[in-house]
Amino acid sequence: MKLQRMFMCFSAGFVFFVFSAFMQLNNNSKNEKYALHFPYKKMGLTDRQAAAHILSRFTFGAKPNDVDAVVNTGIENWFQQQLDGKLADDDVAQRLASYDALNLSNEKIIATYPRQSEILRLAIKEGIINKDSVNKGNKPEYKQQVKALMDKYGYKAPQELYRQLINQKIIRAAYGNNQLHEVLTDFWFNHFNVSLTKEQCAPFILTYERDAIRPNVLGNFETILEATAKHPAMLEYLDNATSVSNDNDIARKQRNSVAGQRAEQRMDEILNNPNANPLQKQIAAGKKNQGLNENYAREIMELHTLGVDGGYTQKDVTEVARALTGWALNPDLTFAKQVAQKLMSFTTWDKMAKQGFVKEGDFFFAANKHDQNEKIILGKKFSMGGGYYEGMEVIKMLATHPSTAKFICKKLAIRFVSDNPSQELLDNLSKIYLQTKGNIKAVIIAMVNSDEFWGKDALREKIKSPFELAVSSIRATNADVQQPFQVFNWCVKMGQKFYYYQAPTGFPDKASYWINTGALLSRMNFGLAFATQKIPGIKINLAALNNNHEPESIDAALVTYSKILLPERNQDENIKRLSQLIKEEDVEKKIDNAANANVVVNKDTNAEDETIMMNKKEEKAALNKKNAKPITTAYVQGNNSTIAQVAGIIIGSPEFQRR
Amino acid sequence: MVNRRIFMRNGAMALFAAGLGGVPSFVARAANNKKIIPPYKKNKTMVCIFQRGAMDGLMAVSPYADPNLKILRPSLYMSPSANEGKMFDLDGRFGLHPGLAAFDPLFREGRLAIVHGVGSPNNSRSHFDAQDYMEAGTPFNKGTASGWLNRAVGLLGHEGTPFRAVSLTSALPRSFYGDNEALAINNLQDFAIQMRGNPMAANIASKSFEQLYDVTSSQLLNKTGKESFDAMKMLNSNDIKNYQPTNGAVYPNSALGNSLKQIATLIKMNIGLEVAFAEVGGWDTHFNQGTANGSLARNLKDFSDSIAAFWKDMDAHQDEVTLMTMTEFGRTAHQNGTGGTDHGRASCLFVLGNDVAGGKVYNNIKSLAIQDLEDGRDLPVTTDFRSVFSAVADSHLKINDDKKLFPEWNGTGLKIMKS
Repeated sequence: MKLQRMFMCFSAGFVFFVFSAFMQLNNNSKNEKYALHFPYKKMGLTDRQAAAHILSRFTFGAKPNDVDAVVNTGIENWFQQQLDGKLADDDVAQRLASYDALNLSNEKIIATYPRQSEILRLAIKEGIINKDSVNKGNKPEYKQQVKALMDKYGYKAPQELYRQLINQKIIRAAYGNNQLHEVLTDFWFNHFNVSLTKEQCAPFILTYERDAIRPNVLGNFETILEATAKHPAMLEYLDNATSVSNDNDIARKQRNSVAGQRAEQRMDEILNNPNANPLQKQIAAGKKNQGLNENYAREIMELHTLGVDGGYTQKDVTEVARALTGWALNPDLTFAKQVAQKLMSFTTWDKMAKQGFVKEGDFFFAANKHDQNEKIILGKKFSMGGGYYEGMEVIKMLATHPSTAKFICKKLAIRFVSDNPSQELLDNLSKIYLQTKGNIKAVIIAMVNSDEFWGKDALREKIKSPFELAVSSIRATNADVQQPFQVFNWCVKMGQKFYYYQAPTGFPDKASYWINTGALLSRMNFGLAFATQKIPGIKINLAALNNNHEPESIDAALVTYSKILLPERNQDENIKRLSQLIKEEDVEKKIDNAANANVVVNKDTNAEDETIMMNKKEEKAALNKKNAKPITTAYVQGNNSTIAQVAGIIIGSPEFQRR
Repeated sequence: MVNRRIFMRNGAMALFAAGLGGVPSFVARAANNKKIIPPYKKNKTMVCIFQRGAMDGLMAVSPYADPNLKILRPSLYMSPSANEGKMFDLDGRFGLHPGLAAFDPLFREGRLAIVHGVGSPNNSRSHFDAQDYMEAGTPFNKGTASGWLNRAVGLLGHEGTPFRAVSLTSALPRSFYGDNEALAINNLQDFAIQMRGNPMAANIASKSFEQLYDVTSSQLLNKTGKESFDAMKMLNSNDIKNYQPTNGAVYPNSALGNSLKQIATLIKMNIGLEVAFAEVGGWDTHFNQGTANGSLARNLKDFSDSIAAFWKDMDAHQDEVTLMTMTEFGRTAHQNGTGGTDHGRASCLFVLGNDVAGGKVYNNIKSLAIQDLEDGRDLPVTTDFRSVFSAVADSHLKINDDKKLFPEWNGTGLKIMKS
């Protein structure tokens, strides 16, 4: 008995030992690919320089003291934290507390934010507005009536939905602690771009980012590809929801049934009747014209996976499109909702599932609209009748294709290393991609483990996008943004109307795309407006950044704030140039004169500016009393001061545009 | 950066780079008019106006003589007769909407051509898709990264200035997407370093930036910075603010009027504008579009008055300019149940210029009988939009590679230009 128990213990222990040894081995081999060893010392960087560099790549900009914090945590540890992405985000939660759209389902969003045209139709139906007076449109009483109608039904304007979408992106980027996830969400959204400019797709973009992109940014590429493929936003944006075929047994049966024949007949009648209701006619024409749409099939290969030179042909495009026929939105999200519900009363989901229909959240596979015949895609044969699984197989095949490995790794390296990554780096990353079957985390780790990431050619090599510029300014100054939409307006001015980029390519990740004369001037103006607090709803305390120490001169302010806003950058040459300019231009004297001059209020001058002038006067008077030396210290008072200007110039300077 | 232009490197312009701020505008003007060496001097300008929302071509330029029209549009029918809207009779078949009165003299002078039955071979009736296809210039391919106007800029075959391609919009339109530099700007006065209510600070900031961009090690920022400051000085804000149209031109006080006025300003400054873009909305007339009066009439009036004012203002520059309008599709031949029209297929467009073989309604339209309509409801597309766009761009801007301008298209240009 005893012996037996001992033996059992022993064997259990032995099994455990073997098992854990095996696990360890497994972990080790796994760990090897996921272990962080950053060769920055080898590449000649100090801890602080390395911290500043990695912050510039995997966050939306360093906050004051971030460099120290990363060095203290240890650069690898910090990056591991970022990969894990589990840091608490109370600030973000608090700032987003009043955003009531962020957790809604697609169905709820559609029910809450109907299109303008639907509201108009409803208003006419309810007799609230006369259909003949619609075009007197913008009168206040009309607006009021429509508002009352919307309130009655609990409707809200779609613009409010878009506002929340835009603002949440800014808030998360500026205040989120899991910065790597924010940066990657931005990256993958742009890779799988959808656009608010397309009305059919617009209501779904919030959930697209939330459900298809954000949770999948560091997982397997196949997962994010599948999630985007099935999301209503993408299905609408690239028209796959309208790509159908009737080449299948179910449709044939329907067509040959009495009801089917009658429906067909009726459609022809409508089309041939000059007096038919135009809307009915439009629907009939739409039904008649429907068929294969290759848009998504082309872009999933050209833009999402293989790349334009990825080795596919037009024939492959058509074949993929055929494989994806029937991939559509849950009918509950479309105008066919009622029809679909009616049809469901004649059948059950079990029966439909047996016929090959699939419903997965908001995704729907309509077996009766799928081309069931054989296809050959990239040389591989897909036998007849694959149904839904055929599309899934295509996605897997594309996700793990060597061309995809190359294409995705290059795009990642361009975003995070430099505009021109070496072939050697790309080959190495592609190898990791294929070995891990497209594990994004492994690729990113390999990238940061590479010498090239830390090399001289990568440092400060990237130009910030307007969004990155704006958010990095907020972070660098610890600014408090109460009206995020103002930040969006500036991004538009600087050339990045995010969520509105029309083409499926997404914004080009190329310095020369962002930098042109108009955009560059806007960046400089942004810096000035931002630092002098001319952007409504943004508060900055520049003095606090320097522990409320007042720099002794403009020169000193330049040195101090350059260090604060641009940690670990050599600014000697810039400071030299500006100091010289300040001397030549006699800037201090000019400010003095301005302070002494009669305050001339010109038409554009607002009350705020007046106060500045007054403050300067008072400051000067105070200084003159204390101090015989006529130095101008407009710096102390608030932010509308020389310090604010200095900060504005730093933010608009070329160095701040780089990361 | 390959493909970026050397901007104003000659002697006269070096003045601006050296001088800080406030270049007297007379110096600028003198330099602009006399000292600039070709190809900047007297380059041609193509102006494109996109009418977003799909203009009802059947009402703007109405085939009033077709008896089907009255049946299809009992309460929207118009003709030259006094009690049917008093259209301008163009040729006994087509009538010009009275809102477009300002076009009538230009048509009779032979400077304005109308092309009818224009549209895309892709039958999408979605605003988004149709605009996207038209602006990309590839009706069956959404992935085309560039817009057709950006490609046109690339095919000009000579260096340009930062003002070579300008869109009077807040964001870059799809037509301008691409590798060639293009400027999107709502208001030319924004093209300056600004600090509201504090010009002195703005001036110091501007000089500071100029110094900093001058020393940056980033080639792109250095070069573009230089260009920005050169360009800023050229675009003297006082000249823009005080711009006076010539020849008695009066622009409507509207978004389009304002855009065209600014385009005129740029053209007269002679700072290298070659492709200009503006847009105007409000054409999606599903409800109660009206006839001689009403929402469409108002839009047409603003549209034609703005264009006519621009043309008048062009004055001595008229030979340099061709203007072309476009819209994503037309509207249903039938009127709908709410006094409007729904999304259709073909519409019409206008081309204005001294090179234009105008005074004619170019078309291959058959009739509006139901069997001649697309899907029994729409004016079919009988002229591919690319055959018009390419004709204008080729002739006016001397572009001769339609394969690059419109990939995947094998058609030929419509003969609407004199040369």
